[in-house]
Amino acid sequence: MDPNEPKDPDEPAPFPTGEHDPFPPRGQELAPGSPSAPHPEPDPAPDERNDWIQSADAHDLPTREPRLKILGRYAFPPEPPLDEEGEAARDRRWTSRTIVFAGLFLLVFNSVSIQSWARQQEPGWVTTTVQQLADVWTGQISQLGADQPRQGVRDAYETARDQRFRGQPDAPPPT
Amino acid sequence: MLFPTLAFGIFFLFVYFTAWSLDRENGRRKIFLLLASWFFYAQWDWRFVGLLIASAILNWGVAALIASSDSPGRRKWLVALGVTINLIILGVFKYYGFFVEQAVALLNQFGWERDAPLLQIVLPVGISFFTFQGISYVVDVHRGKTPPARSLVDVMLLMSFFPHLVAGPIVRASDLLPQFDRVPRLTREMAAHGLLLIAWGLFKKTVIASELAVRLVDPVFFDPSAYGALDIAAATYGYAVQIYCDFSAYSDMAIGLAALLGYSFPRNFDQPYRAGSMQQFWRRWHISLSSWLRDYLYVPLGGGRKGLVSSCINIMITMLLGGLWHGAAWTFIAWGALHGAVQAVERVWRHFREGKAGLPHWLGVIVTFHIVCLGWILFRAESFDLAMQMLEGLTRMAPVMVLTPFLLALIVGGIAMHWLPPRAVEGLAVRVREAPAITMGVLVGIMILLVEAMRPEGVAPFIYFQF
Repeated sequence: MDPNEPKDPDEPAPFPTGEHDPFPPRGQELAPGSPSAPHPEPDPAPDERNDWIQSADAHDLPTREPRLKILGRYAFPPEPPLDEEGEAARDRRWTSRTIVFAGLFLLVFNSVSIQSWARQQEPGWVTTTVQQLADVWTGQISQLGADQPRQGVRDAYETARDQRFRGQPDAPPPT
Repeated sequence: MLFPTLAFGIFFLFVYFTAWSLDRENGRRKIFLLLASWFFYAQWDWRFVGLLIASAILNWGVAALIASSDSPGRRKWLVALGVTINLIILGVFKYYGFFVEQAVALLNQFGWERDAPLLQIVLPVGISFFTFQGISYVVDVHRGKTPPARSLVDVMLLMSFFPHLVAGPIVRASDLLPQFDRVPRLTREMAAHGLLLIAWGLFKKTVIASELAVRLVDPVFFDPSAYGALDIAAATYGYAVQIYCDFSAYSDMAIGLAALLGYSFPRNFDQPYRAGSMQQFWRRWHISLSSWLRDYLYVPLGGGRKGLVSSCINIMITMLLGGLWHGAAWTFIAWGALHGAVQAVERVWRHFREGKAGLPHWLGVIVTFHIVCLGWILFRAESFDLAMQMLEGLTRMAPVMVLTPFLLALIVGGIAMHWLPPRAVEGLAVRVREAPAITMGVLVGIMILLVEAMRPEGVAPFIYFQF
């Protein structure tokens, strides 16, 4: 909600606007016993049931503190600092995500490996299914050119590998 | 199921997500990891899963008896029993054929010809590693260095945990059992380190080691007489790089995989070819084996406590048995003898030149590296004849046939990587740990994509699987 938006005068104010703000900004709270403290008043009547919390808008708070922090202070209690177990869980999540991202990267740019692996397996229901899926996937991916980086590296590598010294006969086939 | 394969990648993803979904159930998590490890091992030969289980039950039982016994004499008998049974298991599967052949050859020399009771025994993958782990567990409990495991599952998982199962590092009970007591903590640094180690290991194994093996080392070692000095020298240096990149890659990936599951393994390599002496080399090469040999063989033999001669004899025995551990063949024993003899000479040299200036470090590095390369010829050659042909070929002038600029670059790069800043991967992990997950994921994806683009089709088993 835009705090500058004109408001309906009949709508109840989201926060009491009287002299005794029940939610004073931090640092401006007054101790009950201090000389400048207002005289104690009789307990106010209990609040009417309303929806003021639902319509609370931290932007309306007269504060210089970061608004999200204020919102957190009142609406959502800040998370306690992570204990050892929490940090361990966070690090595990990071590792798992890293592995998943690396796997997805290879699935796109190195799909040829899955295809060649599937072709080397003994025929069976699983391997045939994997092979067909790999063939389709590799074909689709190659249309996007995602196989080009691998192929480019491979070509450069083979060119370097097949270089011979000057005057040297061709290499015998590898054993 | 080899680490650098898609099948293993799918297996590991399943294990990773399932294991962390059991993060509030440490007991179930360990049982799940144990079942996954047995499944992994069964991909080679499911029959040997039973051997793995039997070995774990044996070591768990002996250690429990040792811990519950108050009599020092009985404890000694028990530890001797545990070590002996472990050695019998190793001996039957790994050395039976070798020793029977040698015995028959010896008897034949005395004119006593008999049919040898030869058996075709299949060597279980990783048996040298898990029996050494079992021995260290029993001995450590006896020495009071580690308390007995709380449950049989812990010992089974200690010996069967799939990242180190088939080719090490040899993780001791004192390193791993305390980590099994509760669900481990995975930090970003640990995860970043693990992912980078896996990518780096993939590169070393599937690009450097594979290319050198297929295009240079295997052809030359197969028939050294067909090649000249340059090709043979290149193949020797190439094998030095290949075996380092192969074995350290396995260790890196094992450490990385364990890290992603929340467990820490000890470092197994520390830039070994920059060692200035053979003693330093063994502090940097296959550290988990060299420290095992030191703690469970060299020190019990007397170590260096009884003087120079005793120290030299003990190091010789240790390295001979270390050579035999690698394989049941005389070439491995000769390799161990070479390493033992050079270390003995170094001790004598230091003893008589104490306080005087030694070799400059750079010269020590060059000399040590070439002695190590000489040892690798024995280690790699199928027989002494082929090893001798390799050495003879170093004086034969002939045109270069298999060495190419690319292979030369791989050799130089493989040696030069030893002069990268120490702990470079750890340092990089510290830098990238704060990156958002998507950035890190793309970074890891790019690294693996580059490896995939360069690697040859298929992948050979790791060299140390045969041990």
